[in-house]
Amino acid sequence: MQEVAVVGVGLHRFGKAGDAIVGNKSVTELCRHAVDMALQDAGISWRQVQAVSAASSRFSGGKGWGLNGNDVVEDLGSTGVPVYNLSAGCAAGGNAFNVGWSLVAGGVYDVVLVVGGEVMPKGMIQTAGTEEVTDPEFLRQRCVGIPGPAFWSMLARRRMHEFGTTEEQMATVTVKARRCSVGNPFARFQQAITLGDVLNSPYVSNPLRLFEICPVSNGAAAAILCSPQKARQFTGKPVWVAASAVATLGFDDSLPRNLAGPVPTGPSYHTEVMGAVRKAFERAGIGPRELSFTELQDNTCYYELAYPEEWGLCEPGEAEHLVEAGETAPTGRMPINPSGGFVSFGEATTAMGVFQIAEVTWQLRGQSGARQVPDASVALAQTNGLGGNATAAILKR
Amino acid sequence: MSESVAPAVAGLFVADEHGVRVLGAKCEACGTPYFPSVPVCHNPACPGSRMQPCGFGGRGVVWSYSIANFAPPPPHKYDQPFRPYAIAVVDLASGLRLVGQMVDPPEAVTVGAAVELVIDTLYHEQGKAFTTWKFKLV
Repeated sequence: MQEVAVVGVGLHRFGKAGDAIVGNKSVTELCRHAVDMALQDAGISWRQVQAVSAASSRFSGGKGWGLNGNDVVEDLGSTGVPVYNLSAGCAAGGNAFNVGWSLVAGGVYDVVLVVGGEVMPKGMIQTAGTEEVTDPEFLRQRCVGIPGPAFWSMLARRRMHEFGTTEEQMATVTVKARRCSVGNPFARFQQAITLGDVLNSPYVSNPLRLFEICPVSNGAAAAILCSPQKARQFTGKPVWVAASAVATLGFDDSLPRNLAGPVPTGPSYHTEVMGAVRKAFERAGIGPRELSFTELQDNTCYYELAYPEEWGLCEPGEAEHLVEAGETAPTGRMPINPSGGFVSFGEATTAMGVFQIAEVTWQLRGQSGARQVPDASVALAQTNGLGGNATAAILKR
Repeated sequence: MSESVAPAVAGLFVADEHGVRVLGAKCEACGTPYFPSVPVCHNPACPGSRMQPCGFGGRGVVWSYSIANFAPPPPHKYDQPFRPYAIAVVDLASGLRLVGQMVDPPEAVTVGAAVELVIDTLYHEQGKAFTTWKFKLV
């Protein structure tokens, strides 16, 4: 195994289909913008890329079967490079990063492009594609009717029961996230909002409100990974991958993802996420309290409260107080999502894991402007996706 | 005259002299319950799958719940106008953690509430009532 460096990153600003940011751009156009930016950042040409690890788009893509790696390569110029298309729901970007890292770490290639992008359908994501009684997701939707955000609101409601979390405390998480997004040129929303704005937004799935749930967005992200030898040729300031891990959920996972499961004897939490994050800490030899900051998957404010506790960044039941005391802001002692997070970007599913790598890279280089975490030296990026997929990456200066 | 009634999906639940049950399976080797039924046990620690049909019903406790303030997309079906409903995650005494709609209005539901499994109408189509399993506060 050899060290792996991130030498270039790029994003297309996130936006809503038809707006002034993304307009009617195809997923390929969005990806080209992000890839060009990453190549330029790395100071390399497209022809130097030896392989592509792509987060396989689920909702868009010219080939019609939900991929974009091949589309991106065709668009940039068909050099004949191998393309690995990875599918893992919202964790696909993290998976693509992990496979790109594996290919370089294992010495198979010296220069790998990781890319993800999405043009999302409007409104709530339709999770069941077919009307098949053998499809558990069809049964879940036909027989019960569980809109996507309801899964998150069940978890939030349970936390309110266990820790006494208030709706005001959950809204404070969103206020913090949106404050971070001010001045982030890549965020879809770049304006601060007040507690009143959040609490006056309508419930989407009580207790979660419109401003507390990430909308769907269009966007793209890219990163160039290199061997140490190449990295030193390309840049004087590479960012290093301390660990990259992937996991799927455990049999003892008792979150209500399906219609039913065994009544658990222990606590209920995201076992796939715990699996990936624990592996990343172990492999990096870095503890949860040594992180300068974390970029985690905040599909909703609940995760900014639950995940840091589950991973040992703070004590159980402590997160609300840390948020209220400003400790999760970029200048606090446990900064979470200085980018503004999913709540400020909206979710372009397969771009998310790579978008986090871009933010972490800029932060570790000290290039993040108003949202800069002071003296950031090591950070965690985490995703999870439908089907029980999770990824974690730890990057360091 | 009673209206014509049919299950939203056939074969998933039953109501008879033994009460209301969802129809799943249980592995006799490791005790893991399943709904819907699966052909083999998914427990990686199971010594050897021995699946038997098994019904799960009776009472349970609300582990958590959420409210559908807006209608889910298809393939969900509902009667117009849409009325928000609570979706409960219930730990049944029979060992199954089961998801289902609540019959009761959302504001009546609480974490820890005792409920029982019932059969209730989900939607109407072509003059017929289509039913599913739900929970009711006891």
